[in-house]
Amino acid sequence: MSDKMRESLSALMDDEANELELQRVLKQMENDGELRQTWVRYNATRSVMAGQGAGNLNIDISARVRTAIAESEAAPSLRQRIGRPFASFAVAASVAATVVLGGQQLAQISSADDPYGNKAVATVGSSPVGLVNTMGATAVQASYGTQAVPSLQPAAKTAYKELARQRMEMYMQEHAEHAALNTPQGLMPFVRVEEIRE
Amino acid sequence: MSALRFSHFAALMLALAAVPWASAQECPEVNPEAVKWLDKMSRSLQHVSYHGVVTFQRGGEDMQVVQVSHSVDGGTSTDRLTQLTGQGAEVVRKDHPLDCIHPGHNLLRLGQNQCGVAANYRLSVSEGDLVAGRHSVRIAVAPRDMYRYGYVMELDRDTGLLLKTATIGRGNKVLEKFQFANLSYGDDSPEGLDTAISHSAHHPVPAASSTNAAAKSPGWRVRWLPPGFAATDAVSSASPRKTYTDGLAVFSVFLEKLDREIRPGEGVARKGSSTSYTRGVKLAGEPVLLTVVGEVPVNTARMVADSVVWER
Repeated sequence: MSDKMRESLSALMDDEANELELQRVLKQMENDGELRQTWVRYNATRSVMAGQGAGNLNIDISARVRTAIAESEAAPSLRQRIGRPFASFAVAASVAATVVLGGQQLAQISSADDPYGNKAVATVGSSPVGLVNTMGATAVQASYGTQAVPSLQPAAKTAYKELARQRMEMYMQEHAEHAALNTPQGLMPFVRVEEIRE
Repeated sequence: MSALRFSHFAALMLALAAVPWASAQECPEVNPEAVKWLDKMSRSLQHVSYHGVVTFQRGGEDMQVVQVSHSVDGGTSTDRLTQLTGQGAEVVRKDHPLDCIHPGHNLLRLGQNQCGVAANYRLSVSEGDLVAGRHSVRIAVAPRDMYRYGYVMELDRDTGLLLKTATIGRGNKVLEKFQFANLSYGDDSPEGLDTAISHSAHHPVPAASSTNAAAKSPGWRVRWLPPGFAATDAVSSASPRKTYTDGLAVFSVFLEKLDREIRPGEGVARKGSSTSYTRGVKLAGEPVLLTVVGEVPVNTARMVADSVVWER
């Protein structure tokens, strides 16, 4: 295992891995038993150093993931179609999975706010539901009859990242309700909520 | 200690100093002075009336500024937070009984048989800076494992009120900061401000501190929690949200049932000290989306999500 990989691994453990490192490690973990062992060992060492038992650390997610991958029917053609390998924890290149976003409109996927306050306008695809861009998530017009069902074609990584971002927005207020009673900052956790709802 | 103004808090605290807490055997290297300060902090947060302006900063975002007030009236307190920037929303908690102690605050208090936060954090006390014009004492709170962040807290030397908190990530990186810009003690609440929206904070039933009310009804269960984390409130095992605290950090686990298949995968979003980790999995054959939202490292969120099981 290269030093670079070792470094990436430790960055990953410390929550500091950048996109590139994350991809590298996860991709490598798929078929590198030594790397998986190192991961487990790193965790164990660190927890021992921190004065805990290492008992609960033999969680090897990757094994489970590999099983999941083996069970899922991958369509390798997509990988070739995209022309670049993409890594995600569940490296899945299967058919389109449609995610229902709880009625939330998927907007501003590709919007980068510029510092002068001109919010980039999200391009709303005019494709019908289900026809989606395989390179990531696409905003789909929000109303079809009475239902708002944006659909995602996960080039899994991009889509899940977007899901995580949306979930943070969606759940932060409910989380803050409990954080506000269980941390020493009083009501301050509410300042982490993007938009407070009544 | 002698520098303390002899308010009834000091009296309370001195009285408490006599209370034995868990033996040194169970709680290694506990710094008694720091533990007493945290205890005092958690009490003053409830029993002292104050109002002031607090700033909040994280990452490269704009500073947020809020006005907060806490007024004690008889056996209850009222909290108000009004945003002076951004949305201009207001959050209010009225009539919170002073004797209603939630699990997170319990962990900050000197108990009979618990180490509280000292079990999972190394505490040290030093002289603090001036914050909001008041002399402070600095409590450095370093995590004993990699499952949580560290904190540097500055408390009012007189009242124990928390004036400033910095959340510290790996490599001593400051992830976010709360800090009073000004502060007054007493009940004269500040005059009305323009608020766009007013939200009444919820008051969930605190979980029994002794055990997790693990009702044996069918539902999902988080099988692994970092040491020292306990449920914040009593919810049924089928509840779509479960929240856990170690006294300083809090995270919530959310479960959504999906009405169609989702390809397995995971994603992370981070902001300041907040992490949102989402994973699509099958639970008991059903497609679900698990999300952990809270002020913990990604690795912690992932391990918690990985431990979720369905129990019949």
